[in-house]
Amino acid sequence: MRRSSQIFDLIIGVGLIGVSGFAMLYFLVNERFEWIPEQVLELARDPEILKRPPAKKCSECHKIIYEAWKDSRHSISWTSETFIEASENRSKEKCLPCHIPQSVQGEKPSPRMDLRDEGIYCVSCHFIDNKMQGPYDLLAPPHPTFRNPDYVRSNFCGSCHQKTFKEWKATNVEDTCQDCHMPRKKSRLTQKAGFNLLHKKRWVGDHRFLHGEIKEKDVVMEPGWEENFFIISLKNQTIPHFVPTADNGDPRLYLYIKFFNEAGEEVDNAKEIIAPQQETALPYNKKMRYRYRLFDKIIKAEVQLKYQPAWSKEKSTLRTETVFR
Amino acid sequence: MSFLRILLIAAAFIFIGILPVHAKDMIVKEPPKSLSKYYPPESKQPKWIQQMHKMSTHFGGIFVNLKEKDYENVDVHADRLVEEYKKTSEMVPEWEDYFDIKAVEAFAAAAKTHDIAKAGKESGGLGKTCGKCHAEQEISVWAKFHWPSFHKIKVTDPISEKEVEFDDYMGSISTSFKGVTVNFGEGQYGRAAKALKVFKSRYMELKSTCSKCHATQDVKRFYVGQDADTSFAGLSQELNSEKPNPEKFWKNIGLLGKTGCKHCHLVHRTNSFIQKVWEQ
Repeated sequence: MRRSSQIFDLIIGVGLIGVSGFAMLYFLVNERFEWIPEQVLELARDPEILKRPPAKKCSECHKIIYEAWKDSRHSISWTSETFIEASENRSKEKCLPCHIPQSVQGEKPSPRMDLRDEGIYCVSCHFIDNKMQGPYDLLAPPHPTFRNPDYVRSNFCGSCHQKTFKEWKATNVEDTCQDCHMPRKKSRLTQKAGFNLLHKKRWVGDHRFLHGEIKEKDVVMEPGWEENFFIISLKNQTIPHFVPTADNGDPRLYLYIKFFNEAGEEVDNAKEIIAPQQETALPYNKKMRYRYRLFDKIIKAEVQLKYQPAWSKEKSTLRTETVFR
Repeated sequence: MSFLRILLIAAAFIFIGILPVHAKDMIVKEPPKSLSKYYPPESKQPKWIQQMHKMSTHFGGIFVNLKEKDYENVDVHADRLVEEYKKTSEMVPEWEDYFDIKAVEAFAAAAKTHDIAKAGKESGGLGKTCGKCHAEQEISVWAKFHWPSFHKIKVTDPISEKEVEFDDYMGSISTSFKGVTVNFGEGQYGRAAKALKVFKSRYMELKSTCSKCHATQDVKRFYVGQDADTSFAGLSQELNSEKPNPEKFWKNIGLLGKTGCKHCHLVHRTNSFIQKVWEQ
């Protein structure tokens, strides 16, 4: 009886020591990692990580971020068919800096020579000036990570998306690129068994770099008639840059209008190509007006708005409307 | 073989030998395939032009340092020039004969005497080897490897929404332009107005086409910019008026031709013609 009580006490004791040890470690790792001597940390360092490794290496710990990135356009910036075709088999110099950036840091990067199939990968954005950087100061034993506030600022994305950055800046809207395209949720930065428990949850951005869908509330369409003219206006009401936008890609909105007479016959039609490269994209919060002279007696117009992203030849219908006179 | 025949052949050789190479004799011949491995996409970097820059820098470096009496660096550049020259001579086997290793070595030796006059004199022999290759090959190399190819550009025709070859697209623009001018000339203003919509749409599509190579807005605005907008607005105004004014109409057509079509054709067509011949 006495012996079993001693074993029980021992278990409780070991448990308490374990829990308080873990709590102390958790506190140290997350709050006071500067207390840990550098000599101790050296034992946990992985020098390979500081040699610009492929993304797969990063996935050993950052599984969730890696998988999100794998789903993104950034991960196929060098390998996508659209890019290969548009860049004349990757020979156009103007494409290289942003499709295979060496190091992204607020200005147009230089193209890199190695690991080109990785596209815009972990190292391009997080390994700057020979050290790992991100939105937080972190212990991260295999590689110390230093906080750089630019990771939550639009100018970081503006290194490559320069035109879009300028458009956004002109709107004076506070929401940054990351707010919309990298929405944050509380998550652990590492998924490596054991280590994940040591790291507290933080706000982590979605590394799929979401490409926002254009909804009805985003682009407001107002059709109408005026003597022998059909008028239609489009207003980008919610997206704080031009729609569509691109520095070098060619995404487009197509506005189709068909005109019908009393007999229900289509007698005329019109089309607008709304595209950044043609300087016809929709600016933020400004009504764009299109006017068509009608040569016949028209009683009805059918309007359709379609969207084609830069990387696809397919169009998706955003809106269809029939307007009677 | 008769004496006269031998005399004629000998005279021909002498004549050809002394005949200087003039620009009018230039043959723009496609560069050898072996050069492709020194340019993208086969190479990650444009290694051939980089090699040219290296040699040019060392050649220039010798004279810069001779003038500054920095003889240590004269010797460094002389050695590096010989090294790079030899390396270059082995890069394109078809062009091996352009190189004269004795000439580069003689120049390097003269440079190492640190006598600028001697170096200048010996540079002539080496310069001739560079000059001969440049005279015969430089235009071809630039046309082939430094200018993107128009014939690989595909354009989405805004009317059919089909992707077409660049040359075919130019044909479509030309046809739709004639739809405007021919109908206007015949007094068919309604048809001209409809043709103008098609022509304008195709013309404006060129902004996207320019963007396939040009990264800055200003470049494409040089071709399809404010002048084009003004011309199209003027043409549209005339064709939508009750009684179009021919003088204003043709003035705008002329403006469009001079500031848009002609600007682009002057800059791009020569090279495009060269590439087209090679690609056929």
